Amino acid sequence: MKRQVPLILCFLFGVVMILTEFSPHAASQSVYNEIVNWTLIVWPFATVLAVATLVQTHWARIQRRSEHWQYSYVVFAGIIVMAAIGVPFGMKHPAFEWLFNNVQVPMGATMFSLLAFFIASAAFRAFRARNTEATLLLVTALIVMMGNVPVGDLVWNEVMAWSPWSDKVSEARQWILDNPNLSARRGIILGISLGGISQSIRIILGIERSYLSGGDA
Amino acid sequence: MIKTTQWVAICLVLCLSVGTAFSQGEPVAPSNVTAVDTPNDDGSSITIKWDAAAEDTGISGYQILRRIADGELEPIGDLLPAGTTAYVDSAIEGGTAYTYVVRAVSETDATVDSEQTPAVEGTGEWFHTGKTAIFIVMLLFSAAIVWNIYDARSGKDIFVRRIPGLEAVDEAIGRATEMGRSILYVLGLGGVSGAATIAGMTILGQVARRTADYETALRVPCNDPIVLNVVREMVKTAYLDEGRPDAYNEDNIFFLTESQFAYAAGVDGMIIREKPAAIFLQGTFYAESLILAETGNSVGAIQIAGTTSESQLPFFIAACDYTLIGEELFAATAYLSKDPMFLGSIRGQDWGKLLIFAALILGVLLELSGINWITTLLQRVS
Repeated sequence: MKRQVPLILCFLFGVVMILTEFSPHAASQSVYNEIVNWTLIVWPFATVLAVATLVQTHWARIQRRSEHWQYSYVVFAGIIVMAAIGVPFGMKHPAFEWLFNNVQVPMGATMFSLLAFFIASAAFRAFRARNTEATLLLVTALIVMMGNVPVGDLVWNEVMAWSPWSDKVSEARQWILDNPNLSARRGIILGISLGGISQSIRIILGIERSYLSGGDA
Repeated sequence: MIKTTQWVAICLVLCLSVGTAFSQGEPVAPSNVTAVDTPNDDGSSITIKWDAAAEDTGISGYQILRRIADGELEPIGDLLPAGTTAYVDSAIEGGTAYTYVVRAVSETDATVDSEQTPAVEGTGEWFHTGKTAIFIVMLLFSAAIVWNIYDARSGKDIFVRRIPGLEAVDEAIGRATEMGRSILYVLGLGGVSGAATIAGMTILGQVARRTADYETALRVPCNDPIVLNVVREMVKTAYLDEGRPDAYNEDNIFFLTESQFAYAAGVDGMIIREKPAAIFLQGTFYAESLILAETGNSVGAIQIAGTTSESQLPFFIAACDYTLIGEELFAATAYLSKDPMFLGSIRGQDWGKLLIFAALILGVLLELSGINWITTLLQRVS
């Protein structure tokens, strides 16, 4: 019974939500909006549990004196300061916005900028010409990169302007992106879409129950 | 005689001048004005259409006027530019009949009204006829999957091609066990309603069963509070099912943050500090994908990635040992559990692909032959 009720609810709501996609009637759309609103109710309760686990995890780190345990105090300081300003005064309070714009945003941007170095190291490994496929990948990547970066434009349109195929690099780059690249992407997207539908049907029919903590009914 | 002729000539010139001026200021009434309930909507609008006026009629715009029952004609909306031939009135109430008049306005602000349309009410449609083709394809595809699922129950042997990324799951868990290090399972940034997150959680369930057997620590930092709670229950059940509830440690599944790059920084910190022997990156990923995968690579962990974010796949392929590409992520449950019903759904999926492939070939052949109804149909559907 503990498993049957969620399975029945999942089936009913799954079918209803599919039908609302094909029915523009006001009654149908209000059912859709109502169900979406219900899902939002779960969010605050889950967030409380999540914050509780965060506090628990870092408290345990401090107690156990785990590696770099001192940073857990920074987590607590962040939670307390942001909650002390955000809860009573709201997220539009100048102090809250200042902290967000001058602490969190720059830190996020710093992490994002690290991506440039990670791309360089990953590209170095991926483009090593170890076999035919890797060599093909290297040549293709070079054409696309040279077609995209400003220095590529300088090389082909200024330095190599005398060459009969100087203007062909840009065309080749666009052809690669529009044909082999786009075809492969669309193939992957089709597979993903079909896989998603297949998984949805398994969930609606109660065959896949991982979201119910796995196991059989 | 000469004087009379002069007067006649002056009168003629004056008449012609006034006539010309009058004809330039007086627009022609809009013709063929119709008002119909907007098709395939929720009944909240009425569409008014009329024929385009000739270019030399001096019309500078149109004003739509609306009447409710026996009330007055009232203008609605702003003055529409010349050349407009349709207007959607979205400010209507259900169960009320409206009549419309389209007023042509000239450059000299002279106006002329069309005939009044018959009364019309806005009614919502129960079925969107523009989505009929999608609905039929969805039914066919669903029927193929359901048929295959139930056909598979008869015990037929269903072939599933080898997926190296899934074959390596046991290898990765075994390696972590032998090295006495933890396994890090990252579900990405997707919410619990995301198909990729659900697929990632399903694989996690299978991984948890094996880690329960091997007593290997399984660490799951979560980005979404709801995912956290579902994952805790899933892993706990997996440990219970394997008869190892004592090995389950709730503290290993925890909430990190909802912020994208703070999450990436947190997971990176874990990778550097704990040096997990195996890292699973399964779910929805964005720009943080390569940050996580490269850090994992730098500590020498065996990495198995899988995502439906096709723009992140190249990063995973470059930085991870194995990558589940798109649909392989959804096939993981069937592959790992070998459950005939799951395998049946995979075969149904393949039927869908076959259908699309056949439509592609047929479409190309028809286009080459100058017949483009299949292209038109697909364009209408999109």
